[in-house]
Amino acid sequence: MRGFALIAAAALACSAAESVQAQTKEPIRIGVIAEESAIGGTGIVNGAHLAVDAINAAGGVDGRKLEIMQYDDHSSAADAVRAFQRAVSQDKVVAVIGTYISEVALALEPWAARTHVPFITSGAASNEISRHIHEDYDKNKYTFHEYMTSAFIADSICDSVKDLLQRKYSIKSAVVLSEDAAWTTPLDAEYLVCLPKIGVKVLDHIRFSPDTSDFTPLYNKIEGEKPDVIVTGISHTGVQPTVQWAQQQVPIPMIGMSSQATSGTFWKDTNGAAAGIVTFSVAADGANLTAKTQPFINDYIKRFGEAPNYTAYTTHDAVNVLVQAVKRAGSTDGEKLVAALEQTDYVGTIGRVQFYGRDSQFTHAMKYGPEYVTGIMLQWQNAKQVTLWPKASPEAKFSFPAFTQLQKP
Amino acid sequence: MLAVQILIDGFAISALYGLGAVGFTLMFGVSGVLNLAHGATMVVAAVAAWVVAGQLAASPWMAAVAGTAAGVITAFATYFLVVRPIQRSKSVPAAEKEIFVLTGTLLWGIMIQETVAYFYTDNPKSVQPLIAGVMQIGGVRTPINELLIAVICWAVIGLLWLLVHRSKAGKVLLAASINPRALTLLGFELSRVYLSVWAIYGVLAGIAGVLLATFLGASSAQASQLTASAFSIVVLGGLGSVAGSLLAAYVVGYLETLTAYLISPTYRSMPALVLLVIVLYVRPRGLLGRR
Amino acid sequence: MVASRQLWIAFFGLAVLLTLPLWVSAYVLGVLTIAYYFGVFAMSWDLLFGFANEVNFGPTFLIGSGAYAAGLLNAHGVPLWLCLIAGAAAALLGGVVLAVPALRLTGPYFGLSTLVAVLLLQQFIIVFAGSTGGEIGLTMNDILSTEAITNYWYALAFMTVSGAILFALSRSPVGLILQASGQDRFGASALGFNVVKHKLAAFCISAVFSGLAGAMLVFYLGTASVGTVVDVSVGVQVIIAAVLGGRRTIVGAGIGAIFLILAGEALRPLGQLSTFVVSGVALLVILFSVDGLMGLLQRRRDES
Repeated sequence: MRGFALIAAAALACSAAESVQAQTKEPIRIGVIAEESAIGGTGIVNGAHLAVDAINAAGGVDGRKLEIMQYDDHSSAADAVRAFQRAVSQDKVVAVIGTYISEVALALEPWAARTHVPFITSGAASNEISRHIHEDYDKNKYTFHEYMTSAFIADSICDSVKDLLQRKYSIKSAVVLSEDAAWTTPLDAEYLVCLPKIGVKVLDHIRFSPDTSDFTPLYNKIEGEKPDVIVTGISHTGVQPTVQWAQQQVPIPMIGMSSQATSGTFWKDTNGAAAGIVTFSVAADGANLTAKTQPFINDYIKRFGEAPNYTAYTTHDAVNVLVQAVKRAGSTDGEKLVAALEQTDYVGTIGRVQFYGRDSQFTHAMKYGPEYVTGIMLQWQNAKQVTLWPKASPEAKFSFPAFTQLQKP
Repeated sequence: MLAVQILIDGFAISALYGLGAVGFTLMFGVSGVLNLAHGATMVVAAVAAWVVAGQLAASPWMAAVAGTAAGVITAFATYFLVVRPIQRSKSVPAAEKEIFVLTGTLLWGIMIQETVAYFYTDNPKSVQPLIAGVMQIGGVRTPINELLIAVICWAVIGLLWLLVHRSKAGKVLLAASINPRALTLLGFELSRVYLSVWAIYGVLAGIAGVLLATFLGASSAQASQLTASAFSIVVLGGLGSVAGSLLAAYVVGYLETLTAYLISPTYRSMPALVLLVIVLYVRPRGLLGRR
Repeated sequence: MVASRQLWIAFFGLAVLLTLPLWVSAYVLGVLTIAYYFGVFAMSWDLLFGFANEVNFGPTFLIGSGAYAAGLLNAHGVPLWLCLIAGAAAALLGGVVLAVPALRLTGPYFGLSTLVAVLLLQQFIIVFAGSTGGEIGLTMNDILSTEAITNYWYALAFMTVSGAILFALSRSPVGLILQASGQDRFGASALGFNVVKHKLAAFCISAVFSGLAGAMLVFYLGTASVGTVVDVSVGVQVIIAAVLGGRRTIVGAGIGAIFLILAGEALRPLGQLSTFVVSGVALLVILFSVDGLMGLLQRRRDES
């Protein structure tokens, strides 16, 4: 008799527990694919975690917690594709965010199309990503480009050269120096168009293999051509060309896009050789692009011990954009999410995020402009990233190393 | 002044290649081991120097010593954990020992590479030059560090020569590379010989790694490239011949520099590869090889 | 290890693999598909190493030649099946060009020449990036199939047939001669066998299968890139797979490849450390179980 009562009690307890379980909702899973042993990749992972933890602390999405399924793609497109397949079919993610390598993003784009799962790249720059969406919208609409396209980055840099450098110095000639990669092809093409427009003659256009480790011959060649400035497009490399530029005391300043220089660790990595490097980024300490910029930077430094690089900002915003889309759609279904993502109007850490529509040639890329996102130009000075454009604090000015030779206008 | 630039640049990079290659060939000559974890060992030394310079705010010279020590530790780890167990293993047939050591060191090198990348990312690390600044040589502005590297490499090689040819321990090493069995018959402990050669190797690879960090920067992703480069130079010069390795290092170094300056950095490694192919087919024992 | 015992292991394994599509997800089938092509890479390598005793450090020279030849032709509109044949032919040609001079070398020199071949191929592809797609890679116009199950069957069938042929060759008179000459070159030639000719034959067979497998792999993936079919690290994985599985068994190489690829995927949650762990396990196997997985299986069977 007692045994029977015990069993009945146990059964009641179990069913009570089960109904409690049923009331606790399923988490929403987000796949994050990144190159964890690269600076760009760690930024993606860290930015995602920071965003997800904040959202979960605030109650999640309609009572459901967010969960990150993380994958390391070892900078390989093949690994990334396998990770994507696993994320979708095994781990049942509702969307995938990731990669800063354009080659990898381009390899994932058709898989987002095949699996009907939204894919937001938060670091790759190639124009090709959005061009594919524009040319075959119905197939490729699942991909969103939460970073500036190479063409816009180049425009931004040209604008800053005109607004900033040309006001103080005589900048009439330049040499374009980029790594040979998917993202720099449209970047360089735009440099060659926008630089002459601001009165800068392009003396030479050098593309080097991404696994170059000795830049001495390149710097020698450039110095021989005597440009006023070197306009860069580098991402896979950063430490080596910068260190060698400083060691060899190349008298020509470098300005442009150096992805690694956007990271807070760059000064330490180069042992201070970064002094004077001017690079495009999405945000930096003190830039205050929106009300969210500085708090994000402070949180990031508190948690990870160093300032965020550009992919941390964009990934953090991408997670929030996705979450807003889920709320707007009232569902995690792929088709509905795509429609909801297209209606994004989110003020993030880097500006106001909206995506271009079908009629634009940059379908699903982030809108570029003073009311949206323009990026900033920063210069490394005394172990700090100083924002110089578009809005700089009054004391902020250029500071180039002593060996740099710049002419006054 | 392109010619002077090429001359200086080529000299510095060749000296660096030479130091790495000498360690590699010495290891093969004395103990018959082709250590495919060579590049990884250099990278560990480079990153260790960077860590010490950064975390402990040490001077570049302290960092260099720390890096070299790390190279020696890695060399010993390779010997005790991978090479010696295979060499002493009773289940590996004698004819295949070489291949197993090769595969073992290859895997070990990958493990080291991944560990470094895990803790420090695969971003290149650089160490501040031992002596900063530039000087004018023949109208060419050259970082002083570059010249210092060449001097250090040659000084170390010189010390090595003195050690091998003038000291008793060195002569034992030399003898071991010619006829190990005879050496044991004479009562020498081969295991001590092996220990000393791994120690010397560790020092050479460690210094090479640290100098690389001050000159160009080194990253875990370069480990296999560094190994392949040393391997090619050593075969070109003749496996087991130190003089051959030095000669080959200069040939390769200048070929690369000339190509990088006169044609394009993208094609930098091609002429050396083609030369290697030619040498392999025409004179496989290398330029100064014994066999 | 006795041939019949190996065959039993192979049949048993095959039976298991045949039933998988019934109860395993499309994702796992995808991983296995890649593993099967890798299996052919490893088995081809084992034929050369296990039997001719030549360590080919650059199996990806043959794989990559086949893959890129097939890919480039397809990019110009040549139909898929013809591209596959062309890929195998290109790899064969590459193999002959490499082997004729290389086989005159021994030991580390042979190994180095195979490694140099890979580096040259890589440079070639990067330098002519305009037509080959360089580091980004080449996209195929056609792919084998969009269905995971269909791709699985193609890969499994290909691996089974290739494995059977390679296994049969290894046990044939030619194979036995190779094994003999591998262990004792002088003895074999003293008996009148043309050692070099037979090694060349082994090289060519290895080349054809590697090239064909490489071509099929890129038509499965839909892209050909340096990172997937040429890079030295891929070659290293092939060697590890064959040694891990058990040298000179052919079947072992196939098992080693499947194990390696599955282990890599299973360890994906470890993120960065997955390569480290897989290399570590392979190293331990080399140190403690010289005959690889097949050796372990053999021992267990002996003990029981």
